[in-house]
Amino acid sequence: MTAATEIWGYRNLIYNLAQRELRARYKKSLLGWLWSLINPASMLAIYSVVFGVFLKVTPPVAGNGETQVFALYLFAGLVVWNYFSATVNGAIAALQASGGLLNKVYFPPACPAIANMITVLLQAVIEGTILAVVMIALGNVGPTYLLFPVLLVFVSLFSLGLGLVLSVYNVYYRDVGYLVGIFMQLLFYATPIVYPLDIVPETAQRVIRLNPLTQFVEWSRDAFYNLRWPGAGSTLIVVVSSVAAFVVGWWVFSVKARTVAEEL
Amino acid sequence: MTTPAISVEHVWKRFRVHRERPDSLKERITSRRRGRQEEFWALRDVSLEVPHGAFYGLVGHNGSGKSSLLRILAGIYRPTRGRVVTDGRISALLELGAGFHPDLTGRENIYLNAAILGLSRRETDRLYDRIVEFSGLGDFIDTPVKHFSSGMYVRLGFSVAVHVEPQILLVDEVIAVGDEEFQRRCFDHLNRLRRRGVTIVLVTHALGFVQAHCDDATWLDHGEVRAQDAAADVVKGYVAQVNRDEIDRIELEVAAGREGVARFGTTVAIERVELLDANGRPTPVGTSLEPLTIRIHWRANDPVEWPLFSFAVENESAVHVANPGMRPPRRSMPVFVGEGHVDYRIERLLLSPGEYTLTVAAHDAAGMTVLDRREDAFVLRVQPGSDLVVGLTDLNGHWEPLAGHETAMPAVAAVGQPEVNAPPEVGSAGEGGR
Repeated sequence: MTAATEIWGYRNLIYNLAQRELRARYKKSLLGWLWSLINPASMLAIYSVVFGVFLKVTPPVAGNGETQVFALYLFAGLVVWNYFSATVNGAIAALQASGGLLNKVYFPPACPAIANMITVLLQAVIEGTILAVVMIALGNVGPTYLLFPVLLVFVSLFSLGLGLVLSVYNVYYRDVGYLVGIFMQLLFYATPIVYPLDIVPETAQRVIRLNPLTQFVEWSRDAFYNLRWPGAGSTLIVVVSSVAAFVVGWWVFSVKARTVAEEL
Repeated sequence: MTTPAISVEHVWKRFRVHRERPDSLKERITSRRRGRQEEFWALRDVSLEVPHGAFYGLVGHNGSGKSSLLRILAGIYRPTRGRVVTDGRISALLELGAGFHPDLTGRENIYLNAAILGLSRRETDRLYDRIVEFSGLGDFIDTPVKHFSSGMYVRLGFSVAVHVEPQILLVDEVIAVGDEEFQRRCFDHLNRLRRRGVTIVLVTHALGFVQAHCDDATWLDHGEVRAQDAAADVVKGYVAQVNRDEIDRIELEVAAGREGVARFGTTVAIERVELLDANGRPTPVGTSLEPLTIRIHWRANDPVEWPLFSFAVENESAVHVANPGMRPPRRSMPVFVGEGHVDYRIERLLLSPGEYTLTVAAHDAAGMTVLDRREDAFVLRVQPGSDLVVGLTDLNGHWEPLAGHETAMPAVAAVGQPEVNAPPEVGSAGEGGR
């Protein structure tokens, strides 16, 4: 628990690191932070054209009983996926990048990863908002939108836990970073993001459902697209997996990170 | 207060040195032998106590473990054995401007760096003006730091680090960077902090400063405590050892390079240069502020009238420091043939410690024709004596007692800019005043 209070004591550092990342990101651009709005919006537009006009993929009917836009169905999943992968990859990169700093000044080594998560969380919130706005425009509205912030909390715990473990092992063995790259691609297709879950065979479905990311993606679709509340089984998987990932990840990290400054 | 600010109890620190770092899993698996990893102990059973408000020095060779110890005090490394107990907020100056982001402006970096050092936003707001003022950056503060000169970079870094208002400040040689004027301000500021009761631990090679300002010091040698005492005594012991080592090294060099210097063909050949100490005994090095005789051995292959000798002294930065030469005689002088020597006697060697090269030349009696010239013929090594010479040279002056109005009023604690007249390394200022 001392670790948690220590992190709290360094909240200003986390805030500053996050700010530095955001400031540096848009430093020399005219539109600045608008890019974090333009990027997802244009992505959504491209998907709409590719999947709606050229490929004519038909997604399930949305919660309001009429909307049927694959681009939105896809985007709801991508928001979660992007947040997850950016947090994990960002944690690995953040620890490695702050090596020079950790060697010279003491601060809790989890700070850079947390700061990075905050910047990508901001992006996830922007994307979620864009999605909500489009959905409202299409008349697909419901109280299930409130599920999205709750979902972000669980995804945060899950990906931070995972990211911390991987980041500290990556300091010792650089292979971890490369393996994560491959594994992420695999996981992307093992998660029903570009396809609806019910097109896979029944037996495969059962396995895929156990993947926490499947549940995260489904929650996001439930919130914005299907407008329904997730079931008990799904909730159990989400809560247990994210809390477990966080607790184990944090613990491993705090043990391993003690000597991390010497290795960086 | 009875609890010390820092208490180091039997600290050992082991580092694993990877011959070839097994950075990848494959290497780790394929080379099952773990013999690749070599261990070495950077610190062995080091104990020390720094009381609150003390100014503590750590001296030793490069690689003696000073910096590792400082990192352990800062909490960056963990001791392998033993423990460190600290009492108070610690700020470490291990590298100035660590964590500066090149694309951000000076202002943004102040906030960032202060946060790294553990300051809250409100505290930074409060200190901001003072930080900028001390750094002397003025209008540049809103420029991205990547456009800063290295000096500006360092000034800003130091300014942030010392204004964090630590209770314990750890300083690692960082002050060696930056120009003279800034160095002085740094040292002044350290003294000011110390008067305010801040505990300071300093790792430095500026021995004069340690001697003059530190209360106590520890001399680390290959990770072990070699001496631990009042700073002046520790430095004295350390300097003596360094000098002994240097003499050993030079004697080895001289022994190795004795052959192959004979020269023929000129009327007068400069054979070699020798140093003699106060007692006229050969010595491999000169000592600051001590007598020294430079003896030039020569050989006249043909009879020659009273040759004139001179030598140029250059320091490590190729600055031409001095050029003593003999003057042409007014009357006719004896003629020499064969071997001979000439002494240049120095009452007090005013040079600061360092390495100087001598270029020796021989001229005819009229001083018109060069008979022989040995470019960089000899390296004159000057080691520090009991008093230190700071700067290029001593001025060989002395201080008179103060003149002015004396008063019975009690002295007011120093404020503002102390020690403007005294250089930071007080070794030379104490010359006549002691």
